Amino acid sequence: MSGYRWLRAGLALVALVAVSACATKVERLDESKAVDLSGGWNDTDSRLVSQEMITDSLSRPWLQEFRGRPGQNRPAVIVGEVRNMSHEHINTQTFTLEMERALINSGKVDFVATKAERQGVRDERKDQDLNAREDTRNAMGRELGADFMLTGSINTIVDPNGDTQVLFYQVNMTLISLADNRKVWVGQKDIRKLVTRSKMRF
Amino acid sequence: MSADGAAAGLRWPCAAACLAALAGCATFSDTIQSTERSLAQQQPKAALAEYEKLKPNAADRVLYLMNTGMLQRMCGDYDASTRTLEATKRQIEDLRALSLREQALSVTVNDATKSFIGEDFERVMVNNYLALNYLERGQLDAARVEALQVDILLREKQQRTSKDNPYQEDAFARYLTGIIYEDEGEWSDAMIAYRKAYEAYTRQLKSFGVAMPETLKHDLIRLADRMGIADEAKRYREEFKIDQTLSEADLLERGEIIFVVNAGLAPLKRERAVTAPNLATGRIVRVAVPQYRPRAHPFAYARLSADSATASTSRVENVEAIAMKTLDSEIAGITARAIARAIAKDTIAGAASAAGSNNNSSGAAGAALIGLAVNLAGVLTERADTRSWFTLPGDIHLARLVLPPGDYKLKIDLHATDERVLESKEVKISLRKGEKKYLSQHWIPTNLEVRP
Repeated sequence: MSGYRWLRAGLALVALVAVSACATKVERLDESKAVDLSGGWNDTDSRLVSQEMITDSLSRPWLQEFRGRPGQNRPAVIVGEVRNMSHEHINTQTFTLEMERALINSGKVDFVATKAERQGVRDERKDQDLNAREDTRNAMGRELGADFMLTGSINTIVDPNGDTQVLFYQVNMTLISLADNRKVWVGQKDIRKLVTRSKMRF
Repeated sequence: MSADGAAAGLRWPCAAACLAALAGCATFSDTIQSTERSLAQQQPKAALAEYEKLKPNAADRVLYLMNTGMLQRMCGDYDASTRTLEATKRQIEDLRALSLREQALSVTVNDATKSFIGEDFERVMVNNYLALNYLERGQLDAARVEALQVDILLREKQQRTSKDNPYQEDAFARYLTGIIYEDEGEWSDAMIAYRKAYEAYTRQLKSFGVAMPETLKHDLIRLADRMGIADEAKRYREEFKIDQTLSEADLLERGEIIFVVNAGLAPLKRERAVTAPNLATGRIVRVAVPQYRPRAHPFAYARLSADSATASTSRVENVEAIAMKTLDSEIAGITARAIARAIAKDTIAGAASAAGSNNNSSGAAGAALIGLAVNLAGVLTERADTRSWFTLPGDIHLARLVLPPGDYKLKIDLHATDERVLESKEVKISLRKGEKKYLSQHWIPTNLEVRP
């Protein structure tokens, strides 16, 4: 009964394929390795932006100029809004936080808590006022005021044509002096991608 | 019976059985009755619970997400709806590439074996409802992302489809993006979007029967004035016979409520099939194609009132007409494919009985039986693709009510075509200077035609 034997062998093969396809596979990736899956904004883009902004902002004259002023040491910066004006839902916090971390660790810039973070800190201070020992109590009204505000925006231009599209991202970051609205530094990072969508799938 | 004969006898019914299993005898839309019944009983939460019981196969995943997202919206769970509809977009993006396997199945089994990615208008609606979700949650910048995506989608579509396609533009999508840009204070983008909406409403009046919304007339004049395009503003004033309208500066001193009614449900796709015996061969031939059945509803307009200010909605989108015209433009291709499939299936059935009778040991009776089995499998699997986003509204209405800053009890009355009040409710709302608040409502009649 050769027909039945073939059938049985075939069924066994199908079962084998079905079972082996079930296991989840995880591969750890190096952070600096670029992996582009959908063509949209991803961690690599975010990292490229933060790297560019960090090196650029630390090497520009605004920092020297501020430290040269009498009685000034490190500028205090507050992170304002980075507006997403692009065609994708992008989490801008990934590169603002990265930038904040690098600038603080450089020892040249201070960051003060943002509007949302401040409220929690103030609540805590109010609580200290009532419950903490007197010699450990932190008084109200002694916060460090920011000298500069960091704002920015992401813009995109998309040029679609059938299965191919050119994506152009432009990220702008600006440091604005809170004393006189002067823009002391403007950083810019452009990213261009050509995305070709697959015409075929299984 | 020899071993070879037995094997040959086994092979054909086996193939036929596989074919039947692959096709599944009921398409996805056939399993939605209880969902619709709950919607008609004004119980969206029950409808969602019913619907979530479905276990869609991979080909129906997008449709499942579309309906789930819309039902979550009807329940007022905007964040969940946003998550679901964003997942829908990603899924559609993955499925847009052509699948050779599915193409082969659609030629040999039926069209419902293809992965559903929605018609163009359904994909635009995903962005529209995401934008509305974000607006109602006060996330204007996120809504702006949807506005840009809709623009890309429509640009792509215009490159792809011919000029005589009735659905070249989505008037409501353009109008909504104009509102978003205006809220952002991006006057030139708002002007361009309003202008595109104006063109779409003018061009599509005959196909979809949606007249220029009253509010859009004022919006065009206001923006043209704001941009300082005097001759265009003058042209609109003359065309619409409007002398006075609120200026942008005055509007920014006040607050505004933008109210959207999603009325009724989109038409249902049903199967229209012809089954006939082929007298020459004695086999049965079946051709099935989809057909839309409109679902009428009595909703005409909604009136908003707060203090002494009132505003009425105008119809901004006729989803029903768009859906039906879209199918009209595709039906020739669908029918041709169905006929080709019927011929292919008949050829296979013929080959099956011939293969049986060539094998002299199985005999004429066995051959006829095999032929019949394959023929039957072919006929049973011949189903029309009746999948459509059935929780979309039949049409969409919009009103803009301008109010001085303050706290209000907003009264909303939904009126029927015979002026009868269908539903009435009050909403507490507070408006700051220059603030726009977005509200929406789904209204589904209780006597909804439920699929038998």
